[in-house]
This record gives sequence, structure tokens and C-alpha cells, in this order.
Amino acid sequence: MAGLREIQSRIKSIQDTRKITNAMYMISSTKMKKARQALESTEPYFYALQSAMARIMRHVPELDNQYFEKEGETRSRIGLLVISGDKGLAGSYNHNVLKMAQQFLDDTDKEVELFVVGELGRQYFSGRGVHIEENFQYTAQHPTFSRARWIRETLLEKYQSGQIQEIHVIYTRMENSFLSETEDSMLLPLRKPSLAQIPANVYQEDFLLQPSPEEAIDRIVLSYMTGFIYGALVESFCSEQNARMVAMEAATNNADELLHDLGIMLNRARQAAITQEITEVCSGARAQKQKTNQAKEMQI
Amino acid sequence: MASFSLRIISSNRIFYEGPCRCLIVPAPDGERAILAHHEEMILALREGELRMQTEEGGEWSYAVISPGFCQVAHNRVTLLADTVERPEEIDAVRAQEALERAQEKMRQKQSIQEYHITQAALARALVRIRETEKFIH
Repeated sequence: MAGLREIQSRIKSIQDTRKITNAMYMISSTKMKKARQALESTEPYFYALQSAMARIMRHVPELDNQYFEKEGETRSRIGLLVISGDKGLAGSYNHNVLKMAQQFLDDTDKEVELFVVGELGRQYFSGRGVHIEENFQYTAQHPTFSRARWIRETLLEKYQSGQIQEIHVIYTRMENSFLSETEDSMLLPLRKPSLAQIPANVYQEDFLLQPSPEEAIDRIVLSYMTGFIYGALVESFCSEQNARMVAMEAATNNADELLHDLGIMLNRARQAAITQEITEVCSGARAQKQKTNQAKEMQI
Repeated sequence: MASFSLRIISSNRIFYEGPCRCLIVPAPDGERAILAHHEEMILALREGELRMQTEEGGEWSYAVISPGFCQVAHNRVTLLADTVERPEEIDAVRAQEALERAQEKMRQKQSIQEYHITQAALARALVRIRETEKFIH
């Protein structure tokens, strides 16, 4: 059995760690509450935006717009927006995002330009020698609309100048409070669903695009991109806080369990030491007694 | 008179959900009114003032919106915009500061990217200030 002192020092160190994980749990749970609120107020917009866009894409007439997918066009350069966290200790949150991004890089034979939100993702990719866009320094904390606008502007500038021909976003979507899903979605170019995908019995409305189809699409795409990026930032931030909260809660519980086991071990060890001491004292006393008895017998 | 169902969603809340008689929105080429049974349409919106009357002869309510778009189909209208605010919610001081910041930036040399952002910020600030001046005397 391990010595008393070793067990005690282990208990001490676990208690210290538990204090940290517990504090982190409390911090992330308050942050989580705020993030949740932001998410709940943004979610209707985020989903309405996506369904409205899907609807527009179903009904829009054939247009030769810069944002639309052109048939038979080869796209050789992809812009990839990866939304990771600023800090670690958030369970598998960052791991999942980075794994998906790495997979994306490994699978494609096209040139990929990386735009990374969050310090952890930047460190991961620069550590692996993957080239990332240098002037793209945005944090994942407290997503705001103006940050989404800047990100959109950076991506669109590259897209419009032809430096990238495709824009993908990898972010984490909050399914519910227990489940979040890492997702990869293509933002641009917009893809028209093929005719086979539209059920035949659905009435096809003829939408009038105002002021002109070309201008309407140009403006709507701007708004759609900002909205999508903002939504993705909010979803990811909330997922990160949630993942951290769950991970820290598990760590605290684990520490409690360890402390309980170690407490039992410590008590056993202490009792064993006491028992041993008593036995030693007793046997010593008995030996002493025998000695005196023998001496007495000798005198008689 | 007939009404249509309207949903106005901004990035941080559902601004309005319910019946509406007449909706006037700022389009890139001028204001546009939508009444019941409007033709099916997708309309791009610019920053500006939105007006709606929920019932015949009722009060008009006003709001300031930033760019977005609006979808009209089957007597249902869905309006999506980055922000939608009532005039009394606008922080006039903040809008004024934003305006000055944007004007300051406009005078400096900036990239195309910065120019777009500043121009949009300037337009938003101007609309907000105009709206607060109209309602708060």
C-alpha cells in the first residue's frame, strides 16, 4: 500500500485541480447562459434565412450571375472559413472542427485558402505548416454583426476578384443542449437544385425579382452571407461554451470520485499504521513483561 | 379590407408576426407598398424606414431597417433584415458617433473593402439619425 504521505499529496493536488475545473465550469455556465440567449434570438433568423434562400434558388430564372454555379466550370481554388475556439479545454469541440477541416484539406486536390476564426485553429494549422490567411485575425468570442460584415467583405473581395471560386464554412451547429454537430456547408457559388430534386406535385410560383433579377440577387446574396456568417459564429460560440461546460462538469465529477476513493485508501492506510503501531507496542510490552517475569523466576 | 400575414425577422429577434394591411418598405429604387394578395415577388431592401398599418384606419407603426430582403407568396410576406428597430429604440448619441466615425474614415485613404464597410455604416447611421429627428423633438 502506498505511503500515507504520497496519498495525502495526491489528494491535495486533485483538490487543487478540482478547484480550477469547478471555477471553469461556473464561468462557462454563465457565459453559456448569455450565448444561449443570443442563439435563441438568432435562430429564427438563421433558419428563415436558409429556407428563404433555398426557396429563391428553386424559383429563380436562369441567370448569368457571378454568384451562381456555372455548368461545366472548373473551380481550382477554394476559400475555407473554419470557425474554431480561442481556447482549449472544451472537450472534443475544437478537435471535431479541426478534424473536419483537415479531412477537407486531405480529400481535395484543389488549392485551399484557409480563413480561420479562433486562436486554437490558427495555431493548429500554422504548426502543421499549412498556409493560412495572415490578416484574418478574428476572435470567436462574443460574435457581433460588424465582425460578420468584415468577414463577408474579406471573403467576397477574394471571390469577386477570382482568387477563390468557392467558399465553404466549417462551423458547429447546436442541435440541442446535449448534442452539437460539426458541419461543412458551401456558401458560394449558389447551386440551383436539379429538376429531379423538386417534387413534381409542388406548385411552382413565378417570382418577380425586384428591382431587377440581377440587382436583387446581388443585394440578397450580401445580406444572406452576412446573416449566415453571423449565425454560424453564434452557433459555434454557443457550442464551444456548452462543450466546455460539459467537459468541466465531467472533470469535476471525476475529481470528486477520485477524492472519495483516495479518502478511503488514506483511512485504510492510517488504520493499518495505527494497528501496526499498537501491535508493536503490545508485543514490546509483552516482551518486556516476559523478561521481568523470567528475571523474577531466576531470583526465586 | 383584406389583410395579409406578415413576419418581420431581424438577426436578434422576431420583430413582428401577425396580420397586416399595408406595408411600405424601402427598395433600392424607391419605396414600395405591399397590400393583400400582392403578386408573388422577391424584393431586395435597402436601409431605410419601414411603415406598416396593421388594420384599416389603424395607426401606422414605423421601424428602421438595414439591408435585407422580402418574400411575398400566397398572401404571406416574410421580411428578413440584419437589424430592425423602432425609432424609440435607437440610441441617437450612438448613431451620431457612428456617423462621425464613418465620415472621419471616409476622408482617409482606405481599401475597397474598408470603403464598402464604411459606406454601409454611414448609410445606416444617416437613416437612424433621420428617424430619431423625426420622432423626438
